[in-house]
Amino acid sequence: MKYESQRVAWWFFATCMLLFGLQLVYGLIMGYAHAGHDPLHPIIPFHVARAVHTNLLVVWLLTGFMGAAYFIIPEEADRELYWPKLAYVQLIALVVVGVVAIIGFHLQWWEGRKFLEIPRPLDFLVVVDVLLFIANIGMTIWKGKRMTTTSMVLFFGLLMAALLYLPGMIPTDNQTLDSYWRWWVVHLWVEGVWELIMGAILSFLLIKLTGVDREVIEKWLYVIVGFTFLSGILGTGHHYYWIGTPRYWLLIGGVFSALEPLAFLGMAIYAIAMARKGGRAHPNRVALQWTIGCAVMSFVGAGFLGFAHTLPQVNLYTHGTLVTAMHGHMAFWGAYAMLVLAMISYALPLLTGRKRHDTPSASFAFWTSNIGMIAMTLAFAVAGITQVVLERRVGMDFVTVQKEIEVHFWGLLLAAGLFILGISAYIYNFIRHGKPVAEVQGGGDSGASPPAAEAA
Amino acid sequence: MLSKSAARAFFLGGTVLCAVAFVGLTVDTLGRIPAQTHQGEITDAVRRGKDLWDRSNCMGCHTLLGEGAYYAPELTKVFERRGPVFIRAMLTDPEKMYPGQRRMWKYDFSERDKDDLIAFFQWIGKMDLNGFPPKPTLAQMATTTGLAATVDRPQIFNQLCVACHALGGQGGQVGPALDGVGGRMAPAQIAAWLADPPAIKPGTQMPKLPLTDGQRQELTAFLSTLK
Repeated sequence: MKYESQRVAWWFFATCMLLFGLQLVYGLIMGYAHAGHDPLHPIIPFHVARAVHTNLLVVWLLTGFMGAAYFIIPEEADRELYWPKLAYVQLIALVVVGVVAIIGFHLQWWEGRKFLEIPRPLDFLVVVDVLLFIANIGMTIWKGKRMTTTSMVLFFGLLMAALLYLPGMIPTDNQTLDSYWRWWVVHLWVEGVWELIMGAILSFLLIKLTGVDREVIEKWLYVIVGFTFLSGILGTGHHYYWIGTPRYWLLIGGVFSALEPLAFLGMAIYAIAMARKGGRAHPNRVALQWTIGCAVMSFVGAGFLGFAHTLPQVNLYTHGTLVTAMHGHMAFWGAYAMLVLAMISYALPLLTGRKRHDTPSASFAFWTSNIGMIAMTLAFAVAGITQVVLERRVGMDFVTVQKEIEVHFWGLLLAAGLFILGISAYIYNFIRHGKPVAEVQGGGDSGASPPAAEAA
Repeated sequence: MLSKSAARAFFLGGTVLCAVAFVGLTVDTLGRIPAQTHQGEITDAVRRGKDLWDRSNCMGCHTLLGEGAYYAPELTKVFERRGPVFIRAMLTDPEKMYPGQRRMWKYDFSERDKDDLIAFFQWIGKMDLNGFPPKPTLAQMATTTGLAATVDRPQIFNQLCVACHALGGQGGQVGPALDGVGGRMAPAQIAAWLADPPAIKPGTQMPKLPLTDGQRQELTAFLSTLK
């Protein structure tokens, strides 16, 4: 940690751990319900668990991105945060909105629009909160000593993410238009601007962990985010096949979303190539593991499994089945969950001054959670493909098919047990690192610039 | 070798180009959606139905236009598939309709709410969705005769009864199959059963269905032929 104000990142990361842990609980409730056991139905019916599970994911990832930005931007801009106290206020506000939303979901106060269930009054608070965050980051970069590509890509990724939240609030009576704008938010986030954030955080981590020259890493960053937008923007079309929109989206969505794996493949090759090229043995090997793992698993989950059902000929049968859940779980895990966990793994020893990255539990967390997630994805795949064949091809009744595939959800729950074990180890390691240190500890491990003498 | 400024130009150029194309296509799509979705047929009832759909978070379990969760049936064509009688009964008391099965939340819908949701489903079902949901192609190969047989059945049978009962191997498995039911029960027995199952056999899982006299007569006549 080079600057005192970076310390706020720890509180964001701690919030991430809490929300992530809670997300797993709601996932289990849904897994058991799918396996035929819903004892919690009178208190937490499936649609409540589902809204909480997905929204917790979105909130903890956003919290992680914010924490990452508060850690990265001072180092990149070479100065303290412009408004250090505002960062704390902004975190507390985010947590309050999140808690109110989650309690609201249990009382069935929501909007009922997949991923954007947060009720309208809270939407406005989220926007205000994110704008405060953007302002803080923006002023820090503006007043900073240098403006790096990494910090600019991160900033624009976050700014665009905030602006793209707005189309989701356009009022309409038509279900098709409702969906149309909803995907502007959801798709352009996860297959668009969030990838800017991902690219920037990966760049930062690779610069720090491999010691490869910044110019080289940032050049390839441009190429990769270039491919992301080239494929991702028009790739939104794969959500517009079957919702009452013109037929030309079948062609446009099909062609451009077929290109989307290239961006992820590029990201994976880039991370591996930089790690090899660097050859610098950074002591925090677990952080590098998570970084490379993120790039590889995002290709498998988002790129490869996304491609598996993105072509209209296939998607006609898989759209709206558990095949989507298969792709969704590994895509979010690989691209964004692992990214935040990589960032936390890197930042934690620097924030707390305790170098616990070599402990067996850190490595155990990485491997167990990844093997668990791969097994979960396989269970979803078997359940999803069986559902597609029996329901969509053979024409069997929905309820009958769901009974047939209940057994695969026991497999899913076993895999989820492994995953939860891994994440528990990660959280245990986080707790063992303890609270952040009070004093600034020299130049972190960048070694590029002298410690901040002007730190307030 | 590629320079950093060339890489930046590639990123900015590609992004601007694609964003402009996407906005252009969006403008064109917005112009075509009203015709493709029969926007003119959105009545106040449909509007209230959509509001109920959102407020109740139906998407938290069901899919509509294939979007939502995968816990409960796809509802795009539910009006055509199940009809208003079944939808109304389901919205009144879901657990009664599927006893001992996967549970749906029991909402306190008023009669007008149910009308509104039915109007909403009816409007959704008429949209041109480029061929979604697909016809089960393998089913037609497997039972070429089965398909012809369904045409002769009363509409109410194809919508309501098959939700729980199978006939000729097609339909739900919540209740017993109805093959040969006409041989096991006399027409009068069938008519009495349909009028009020729990009165005939206390503790039965089959609910009293909101059938009209005409529908009951039609079903009795049809079921009696199944020997």
